Amino acid sequence: MAKNKKNQAAAIRFGPALAAFFACFVIAGAAVGYVWQKGQIYELGKQIRDKEIRLVQLQKDDDQRVKDLAELLSPVKLDERAKELNLGLSPAQPMQVVRLTEPAISMPVIKNMTQQFAARPIDVMSQ
Amino acid sequence: MKNRGQQLARTVAMLALVVLAFIGLGLRLLDLQLWRHAELGALAEKGSQEKIPQAARRGDILDVNGNLLATTVPVKTVCANPSLLGNQQVAVAHALAPLLQMNEADLFQKLQPRLIKNSKGQMVTNQYAVLQRKVSDETWQEIYCAMTNLPLAIDLTKMSKTERVDFRNFAFNLRQYAIFGEDDQLRVYQNGALAAHVLGFVGTKQTTNNTSELFGYDGIEKFFDDKLEGASGWRVTGMDSRKNELTAYRDEDVQARDGLNVVLTIDTAVQNILETELADAMREHLPAGITGIITRPGTGEILAMASFPNFDPNNLQSINSNNEPNRVISDVMEPGSTFKTIVISGALNDRIVSLNDKVFCENGLFHYGGITLHDAEHNHLGNIPVWEVLEKSSNIGASKIGIKLQAPRLYEYMTDFGFGAATGIPLPGEVSAHRFVRPANEWGKYSIAQIPMGQGVAVTRLQMAMAISAIANGGVLMRPMLVKQLQDSDGNIVQKYEPKAVRRVVSEETAKQMVEALKTVVSDEGTAPLARLADYVVAGKTGTAQKVVDGKYANDHFVVSFIGFFPADNPQVCISIVMDSPKEGGRAFGGALCGPVFHNVAERCASYLNIPADEHMQPPNSPAPLVAAGVSR
Repeated sequence: MAKNKKNQAAAIRFGPALAAFFACFVIAGAAVGYVWQKGQIYELGKQIRDKEIRLVQLQKDDDQRVKDLAELLSPVKLDERAKELNLGLSPAQPMQVVRLTEPAISMPVIKNMTQQFAARPIDVMSQ
Repeated sequence: MKNRGQQLARTVAMLALVVLAFIGLGLRLLDLQLWRHAELGALAEKGSQEKIPQAARRGDILDVNGNLLATTVPVKTVCANPSLLGNQQVAVAHALAPLLQMNEADLFQKLQPRLIKNSKGQMVTNQYAVLQRKVSDETWQEIYCAMTNLPLAIDLTKMSKTERVDFRNFAFNLRQYAIFGEDDQLRVYQNGALAAHVLGFVGTKQTTNNTSELFGYDGIEKFFDDKLEGASGWRVTGMDSRKNELTAYRDEDVQARDGLNVVLTIDTAVQNILETELADAMREHLPAGITGIITRPGTGEILAMASFPNFDPNNLQSINSNNEPNRVISDVMEPGSTFKTIVISGALNDRIVSLNDKVFCENGLFHYGGITLHDAEHNHLGNIPVWEVLEKSSNIGASKIGIKLQAPRLYEYMTDFGFGAATGIPLPGEVSAHRFVRPANEWGKYSIAQIPMGQGVAVTRLQMAMAISAIANGGVLMRPMLVKQLQDSDGNIVQKYEPKAVRRVVSEETAKQMVEALKTVVSDEGTAPLARLADYVVAGKTGTAQKVVDGKYANDHFVVSFIGFFPADNPQVCISIVMDSPKEGGRAFGGALCGPVFHNVAERCASYLNIPADEHMQPPNSPAPLVAAGVSR
């Protein structure tokens, strides 16, 4: 009987031990998870920061390219460069221009604009 | 028993001590967490949190084709913390002076620590000194490298262990933090002085947090300053001990909104054509100033606008009171003979005269209201038709037509054509000249004879150009248009500006008649044969106005001009050239001086803009155009 009691008592104690172990596991897991999550937040934050710095750098590079292109297209700079390289370039003289007699190309926006306003009554025009 | 009593006493004493200790800790907790919460909380935040301002990028200014005219590049303001330099100012000055393009001695002076009073009134070493502004990013990188590798001539072997640790800390702080860069912006004008008076320039102002900010000072930069500047943002964030941002601890993150881009109607190539020709004329005739405007008569768009002498907005030192004003809009002048177009347009519109009506020009000498009017020296004209008054630019003929029109109607036409009122161009500093366009009831007894020839009235160059453009545009006055649209940094249109008609000033029929008469001005008999073009019919008018010097009309100071448009029957561009006091003095005439400039500008513009040549061009001096308008020689 006593042996049975002993065996019973041992069986009863195993449950709480398991529960305690499970509780410890959960708490430890939560702690590890918390630390891991904090590490992830820090790591992702660092990545965000790096990407932001990269984005700013790319925007700066982009601006620089736009500036370089504008400089290459600048008529003032082109004039300077042509003179610097002594290319002998200059605007075409009237004698060098050959004009082909072809039907005039109408410029719709401007022409319409002229006619449009010219045709309007005075009270409409003076708005 | 005694032992038990002693034991109890000790236990009670220990308990009392523990309770007292806990009470002490509790009180301290209350002190830190409750009573001094605000003070300590702020202190903690100050150590770990920082508010970082996010500067907005100033918008660009683009031409009509999207070419960059003004842009902003990021630069650094290089600063020093003299309290971290120890006695290494010489080494730092030697390393940085060539990179900062500064004198080594001057830099050494700037690096010297100074005692200043802090907010609590204590004397402390300054921690902030600006060394150089507007330093490029590339140069800043070189400075950073130079500081990181700064050689320090110290013998570590003679130091104790503690001294060596202290020195290493000092060297680390010196190399990493003693010299630092603050973000700043630099405005760059790609084409130098091109369109300087339209673009204007920017100034720099200091903000409360010791950074500098750009603001528009003149031109488009000033007029559209609120659109260009954008809105600054900020970020409140956690920082580690090395001042690196901890992204996870961002509290507030308000992004800066970049300024809008302003797209002008100016065409860089046309502007360049105008400016190179004006610069050539400036060299040849040495005037006090020369201006040019190119407009599209049908829309009022301004393709180019220039005023010489000019300046380079990249170099603020080059700007002075002589070259800063945009004389196109800020100066008034007596227009001279170009004003005859207004008088004759009015008279034709009211049907007081027709183009073929004869006007007796008194053989060049006309007495009226106590003054004597003259025609130009070579003009001794008798009975001539109205169109010839324009062709020969007869002062007497124009005066007689003005007298016929009468002062009240002439004044109405003047105001209708836009004189005496600001045109509304989006540029700062435009004058209306309303003081010089007085109502008819305030005119003197000979004003009605004088004003029709362009004396006794003052206008701006832009007003005159827009008035002639109105005739080219079938009699409709347009508002000058300088800005096409505003767009965000991604190119999305935020606001679009459309051409705007101000009013009809004369009928279409009158405008047509005026165009026919103005075509004769560039004929061999006219005043501006040099303005004629090979492939286009040109219509225009010369002006030669005496300047008032010491209260009298001077015989050797003139403002000469030519305003013309082409192709005359379908005008695509109107060009105004005005020269102030050329070296020719009394021998200066608008047709002779400004006509060739107009010719050169027009030829090059026509080629660039691909304006179709007039078909069946009549040989110069042909009467055909006049016949078409019912005009006979």
